[in-house]
Amino acid sequence: MTYKSQSVAYPYFVVSLLLFALQIPMGLWLAASYSFTIPQSVVDVFPFATARAIHTNLLVLWLLLGFMGATFYLVPEETGTELAWPKMALAQLALLSATGVTAIVGFLFGWTQGRPLLEIPRPLDFLVVIGALMFLANIAVTMIRAKRWTAVQGSLLGGLVFLALMYLFGIPFYRNLAVDWYYWWWVVHLWVEGAFELIAAAMVAFMLIKLTGVDRKVVEKWLYVELGLFLFTGIAGTGHHYYWLGAPRYWLWVGGIFSALEPFPILLMVYDTWRDVRHRTQPLLPRLTWVYMIGMVIIHFIGAGMFGFAHTLPMINYYTHGSQVTVSHGHLSFYGAYVLLNLTFFYFAIPRIKNFPGGSYEEKTGHWGFWLTTLGVMGMSLAFAVAGVLQTYLERVQGEPYIVAQQPIRFWMFVVGVHGLVVLAGVLLVVKHLLTLRPPRAATA
Amino acid sequence: MGEKTAKWVFWAGTLSSLVLFLALTFDTNKQFAALTNADRLDEQVVAGKRAFERHNCNDCHTILGFGGYYAPDLTRAYRRVGEDAIKRRLEHPETALAASYRKMPQQHLSQQEVTDITAFLRWVGEIDNHDWPPQDSTARWKRSTDRLLASASMSPAAALIQQESCLSCHALGDRGESKGPRLEWIGARRGADYIAQYLADPEKVAPGAEMPAFDHLSQGQREMIGEFIVALAGLQGR
Repeated sequence: MTYKSQSVAYPYFVVSLLLFALQIPMGLWLAASYSFTIPQSVVDVFPFATARAIHTNLLVLWLLLGFMGATFYLVPEETGTELAWPKMALAQLALLSATGVTAIVGFLFGWTQGRPLLEIPRPLDFLVVIGALMFLANIAVTMIRAKRWTAVQGSLLGGLVFLALMYLFGIPFYRNLAVDWYYWWWVVHLWVEGAFELIAAAMVAFMLIKLTGVDRKVVEKWLYVELGLFLFTGIAGTGHHYYWLGAPRYWLWVGGIFSALEPFPILLMVYDTWRDVRHRTQPLLPRLTWVYMIGMVIIHFIGAGMFGFAHTLPMINYYTHGSQVTVSHGHLSFYGAYVLLNLTFFYFAIPRIKNFPGGSYEEKTGHWGFWLTTLGVMGMSLAFAVAGVLQTYLERVQGEPYIVAQQPIRFWMFVVGVHGLVVLAGVLLVVKHLLTLRPPRAATA
Repeated sequence: MGEKTAKWVFWAGTLSSLVLFLALTFDTNKQFAALTNADRLDEQVVAGKRAFERHNCNDCHTILGFGGYYAPDLTRAYRRVGEDAIKRRLEHPETALAASYRKMPQQHLSQQEVTDITAFLRWVGEIDNHDWPPQDSTARWKRSTDRLLASASMSPAAALIQQESCLSCHALGDRGESKGPRLEWIGARRGADYIAQYLADPEKVAPGAEMPAFDHLSQGQREMIGEFIVALAGLQGR
């Protein structure tokens, strides 16, 4: 760690990890609700809908707090200055965590905006906006004062501003359901396949420069190309959500063509990482950080690129839309693209914040954590995929009523739950390992 | 590739996609009124949407294919199960789904909310969304209607369905009303015995159902109707 204010990132990572740990038991409850019969008396006070809102909102909250922490770590080094207002960064964390926790407790009492993923009630939305403005002001002023611009910074700031702007489209009440979903996707799709990709590309490029010692000019040149392709395919690719919501038929063409191209920028990211590794001037250490980095680019490609492509063409999507196929893709892509991204960054930044010599650390538990979580999530996604294909065939092709078609799916949801237990074990190890990171034994001796 | 080309790729890629997307957004917003029958989108439908959101229905059910996947998609619920079944599930999910392995929470909706949500679902059911979802596609129902017409002359059950005016509440193919569930849907879900029993005394099988008892028919006639309705599902590949 070169700058003192970089340390504000650490509390962000801690809160983020704790929320991550809470997300998993909620997921297990959801899987259990699919495979077992939950009695009416329980459903009346704690419906599936509430548990789902908590599960997904925890994900969004911890990912965003992770990105914010990463930004606070990254920006001083990129600009070569201290953060403009490190204390405000901490106040922002307090505000956003309090808002998030209030929202999640509120869900338990039925206080909700009632739209999937955007359940945070409108009064709390304004607190989120205030938090986002504090964040953007802090970052922008630091960059402007430093007067040093890099492509990494540009991508990061661009992604963050884009993210904040899109959030606004999720706040109003829309009278027309079709219009509602049209703009709902401006938040959800343009976040995960737009703004988040900009932030991810910046974080990966930054880590690659630091960890491989490859010339910044080369990394940044390819960053431009990656971003260009991400946005070219991602923006118009929003159309793959507009097939069946009451929008004109041309979206079948636009959505189909642009989203079929979406795997290419991810493939380029895989290639860039591979090229930088080949041209490295430093050894690939610490080993676990690299396990995460490589795991991330590969599962990002499989989960987002391949599993996404599998059901993005309109003639396939007509049958798979709104089924467990989507759930399968959702879990694997979020894990590969953003969960592993945050965890890679935590493993990169925490040893540096704690000033471990050479940024290395005692790795052992971390490897167990990685493999348990990763294999668990992959197994879970495959089980979801089987459930999805069954549902597609029985309900959409054969025309069986929903509840009849769900019967054989209950077993596969049980399989999901079993893998969920493996994920839980893995995540607890990862969280514990990251929160109690120690320098390697040789260095302490 | 030089840095200049790389920057060009970035701006050309981003801006071309953005311009296309915004232009289509502008056009789509002009077409929404016609595609969603905005003229029928009255205050009651809006009130229904608000109630639908207030009770977080969408985190279990999908609608237009979006939302939780834990409960049936509601896009065509009005056409599929009809007004009476929707109202019964909203008012008393604990009795309507007593036999089901998956439950729906009793949220103590007001009468007003029940009527509003039903109006909302009725409006949603008419959205022109390229005939999604496939299981509720009208093309699919058409084949069952053809079969009914083809067999009506020789099937006593078809004659009974005509005679008892079942289609003044139930839908079959593109005929009939959406007061009760669509006959094809019942056929895919229930056995002939169940249907015969239901006809004899709906109140006993589904408390609160608005359907009258058909106890003036003989047990044999009720079973024939049951077999006929179950046979309708055969066309869907069951």
